[in-house]
Amino acid sequence: MIQFLSDTLLRAADLALIAVGLSVVYSLIRFPNVAIVQYAVVGAFLAISLQSAGLGLFMAAAVAVLAVGGLALMFNVMIFERLLKADSAIALIGSLALSMVLMAVFLMVYGPIAYRLQLPVEPPFRLLGVRFTVWQLVTLGVSAAALAAFALLLHRTRLGTEMRAVATNAALAAATGIENRRIVNIVVFVSGMLAALGGITLALRGSVSIDMGTNLLLPVFASAVLGGLGNALGAIVGALVIAAAETVVTNTNLGFLVGEAVWFLPASYAPVASFVILVLFLLFRPRGLFVSEVSRV
Amino acid sequence: MSDFLIHVASIACIYGMLALALNLQAGFTGLVNFGLVALFGCGIYGAALAHALHWPLMGGVAAALGMAILLGAFLARLGKRLSSDYWGIATLSIAEVIRITVTNEKWTGGAQGISGLSLLFADLKPWDGLGRLGLFGAVLVLTYWLCQKIADSRFGLAMKLMREEPQLARALGHDVDGIRLRVMVISSIIAAASGVLYAHYLTFVGPDQLVSADTFLIWSMIIVGGIANNAGVVLGAVLMQFAMAFVPFVKDILGLPTDFVAAARLLLVGGGILIFLLVRPQGLLPERVGRRA
Repeated sequence: MIQFLSDTLLRAADLALIAVGLSVVYSLIRFPNVAIVQYAVVGAFLAISLQSAGLGLFMAAAVAVLAVGGLALMFNVMIFERLLKADSAIALIGSLALSMVLMAVFLMVYGPIAYRLQLPVEPPFRLLGVRFTVWQLVTLGVSAAALAAFALLLHRTRLGTEMRAVATNAALAAATGIENRRIVNIVVFVSGMLAALGGITLALRGSVSIDMGTNLLLPVFASAVLGGLGNALGAIVGALVIAAAETVVTNTNLGFLVGEAVWFLPASYAPVASFVILVLFLLFRPRGLFVSEVSRV
Repeated sequence: MSDFLIHVASIACIYGMLALALNLQAGFTGLVNFGLVALFGCGIYGAALAHALHWPLMGGVAAALGMAILLGAFLARLGKRLSSDYWGIATLSIAEVIRITVTNEKWTGGAQGISGLSLLFADLKPWDGLGRLGLFGAVLVLTYWLCQKIADSRFGLAMKLMREEPQLARALGHDVDGIRLRVMVISSIIAAASGVLYAHYLTFVGPDQLVSADTFLIWSMIIVGGIANNAGVVLGAVLMQFAMAFVPFVKDILGLPTDFVAAARLLLVGGGILIFLLVRPQGLLPERVGRRA
């Protein structure tokens, strides 16, 4: 049971950072930028490259996070602002195309091999009967801290109030003197930082290769939809649900179904769990678990 | 070299049909479908399963069309409650679920796929390649003619109205859900038919042919060629297919590493879509507006 909880939490922490980024941008500009999962990969690769260039782990991660924030901002101004003038579906196609371009760049620069951060090897230890590594706990802590900081930013600062005002009614917010474009730019920057952090926490526990973004796309999107696209903190709950579903699907002994003592679904069915949940939600509850201000679904 | 050209032209005809199918959905009706490859997959796996079960060729065609119609109708039903961007992601997810399931099940041949399908016109050697190209070209022309007919009809006008102003279409008494269902079923049949031809051309069917990258390749064809212009999307299919086929030659001439091929293809598709969306969103041959095309 504790093992199940820890597996779920670790997976959810990675998904949540990126899903929150996706959702908060959606709340402002009403289009799901799926390229955000590739921003996570950019963050991970950048951190690895900077570290092998001689920066400390912390500095490498910090520089990578800021750089990806800037990159997200640049793409938003150069590409998505213009595509959104046409249609949100066009912008979605554009973001898928941007994902492919970024993957092409990864393939040229890094090739198809998997990379890792250089980490000191620490022996695993037991906590409540479950084996943990130090880095697993570090990533959990980093994710939780980042999400908490983001929640505080959203609900306890003037900037957060302005962000929520623009999300709720952009025209009214503009009329009260909020500079919408500045708010959108800040949010896009923050979403890039969150995504990069998500990529780096994944890199802290495993290897990074060019298909990481593709593998993240649907679980992240499912988490954001489950939480109600545009409801940033709902995405955290969505990530928990998706992570739990993936863990259940791959770790439950289904032997009783097929009449054998031990029978597990192949691990490659893990993503299917999130897709099926996503499709069911889209069919029956497209506004997510919590009804947020998103009315256009 | 001429064999190679015939091969690329044959595949271009198949992709031309797929581009026409996607154009009916995305171009004329505004249905942003990112799961087109799953409908194509119904075609190739219909043919392959018929082969595995020792059914005659027409049995495979029937299985392919049956599966594609069911899937197309399901996707249309899903579109009842979703706006286009949500629906796009839902279709992408369903295509991925199908690919993962096909990879992991035994009855579909798993990751190895199903091989040994009969090759069309195999007994016409040495003219079999040209025979297949002729057949594919004829089917492409037929599909083009059908799509032109649909676009020019009153039903085609209703499709375009639904794309531009869904609320207005509903207010004028058009059955929006019915239009979506019919468009999805018609284009599913086209996609599945191209899949059957493809399966009996390659004589091998596997889950690698179901990857979403193929869907995006078809999207790049309609965006580059000219969305909502049937001649444009066929032009786009031919251009993209030849560009993809000649990437390995560029690699050899420039002496680049093998990864270049995969990267350049991603770049062609992704970059092609992005550049056209930003610089020339109407494509090479724009939609003809204002008169019946």
